[in-house]
Amino acid sequence: MARALEHQHHSGFFIRGPSATARLFFFAVLSLVLIATDARLHYLVEVRQGFIALLHPLQVIANAPLSLAENTGEYLHTQSTVVKENIQLKTQSLEHAAELQRFRALETENERLRNLLGAAQSSNQPARLAEILHMGRDPFSHKVVVNLGTRQGIIAGQAAIDETGVVGQVTRVYPFSSEVTLVTDKDLAVPVQVERNGLRAIAFGQGRDSTMMLPSLPANVDIRKGDKLITSGIDGVYPPGLAVAEVVLMDTTPDSPFAHIVCKPLAGIEKHRQLLLVSIPKTERPLSNNAMESPAATRTKKVAPAKRHANQ
Amino acid sequence: MRTNSLKPVYFSLGVALLLQMLPWSGVGLVIRPEFILLTLLYWALRAPHLCNIGTAWFAGLVVDLITGGLFGQYALAFALTAFFAVSYQRRLALFNIWQQAGYVFLLLVFTQIIVLILKLFSGGEIPGWEYFFPSISGILLWQFVIFSRINIDGRSNKA
Repeated sequence: MARALEHQHHSGFFIRGPSATARLFFFAVLSLVLIATDARLHYLVEVRQGFIALLHPLQVIANAPLSLAENTGEYLHTQSTVVKENIQLKTQSLEHAAELQRFRALETENERLRNLLGAAQSSNQPARLAEILHMGRDPFSHKVVVNLGTRQGIIAGQAAIDETGVVGQVTRVYPFSSEVTLVTDKDLAVPVQVERNGLRAIAFGQGRDSTMMLPSLPANVDIRKGDKLITSGIDGVYPPGLAVAEVVLMDTTPDSPFAHIVCKPLAGIEKHRQLLLVSIPKTERPLSNNAMESPAATRTKKVAPAKRHANQ
Repeated sequence: MRTNSLKPVYFSLGVALLLQMLPWSGVGLVIRPEFILLTLLYWALRAPHLCNIGTAWFAGLVVDLITGGLFGQYALAFALTAFFAVSYQRRLALFNIWQQAGYVFLLLVFTQIIVLILKLFSGGEIPGWEYFFPSISGILLWQFVIFSRINIDGRSNKA
């Protein structure tokens, strides 16, 4: 608007066009409408995906200096460190090979036993290696953005793990990237089990100090400092048996019926550059073709509410 | 001399966006100044006929996109800040550099408070005092830019 009136701008001391208050009112109403639409109606998911895809080249440019520096650093690795690392990796791989052999034997044995019992087969979940592009822009939400998106078949809800334990969960997917909410975020909950006695609980992120907590457990609960929490797998998202956290504080106060339990995540939440994104296991059904259809079913479920609104 | 071309405005906003999108992490992320907001304030105070509340609103929308938060919270905060910047812009030309810097600092803190209120409404939790670090680093960057006389037209320096 100011542009159209520019030929009149000799002094330019006064701003033409609508008054500042009118402009403010217009844009304030517009943003309040946007906030309400985004928070309550979730119509803007596709819009956001589209714009993020548009911004993707810019993101690549912004990441270029850091990746260049890293690449040069890797190139200039001295030979001694490489040799040392190689020896270390070799011994590690030998140890792992021995463990893997044992694991294979156990797996076949387990499968046979399960067959004997007639229980559902526990499916192995394929995982994909993703690289962290950057931390979330907001330092007060614990999120990272990784380089795999819908184009690579990533869907919201997948678990993110590293070699030591659970890191978080994919909460938002864009065409070329996706957002992983870390277990320490306030909005993320992980169903866990105490390794020592099998007690089930739900661990919530605390949103600060990169710790988690176990709320709503009675004061006489059998949890001690040093207990290891593993995923219970009952949510159908996280594979069972992955390490999540270790209890660092177990405190009871006489005025509260609940125990105050703080735990520290075991995975290298803020250290790594790579994550594994684990596919969501297909629901176990007696018929195999039902299980094949489950991803399609979730997709139609997602579209269905929008259609219903359109009809009304 | 007045600038009448929109090119430097959008170019500088683009550079600010790129700076904002750098892969910040750790301490850098906590103290990272709001580059886009600083650029907006600079143009809104210097050339309000080129960069007004509408520009601020759209820039805020882009910030909403890259932060991945609710659509419109930064847009609202930036529009409100731009309103206060623009409505006192003529008076501000009479101030000296330090008074101007004080006013800009107030605007930066004001923006953060608005964003904080909106986040609390949508279920965030109260962060610590380090939440306001970007305002402090922002005003330091502002001083640096003013003193290094990058693109200063002389008017704000003479006053």
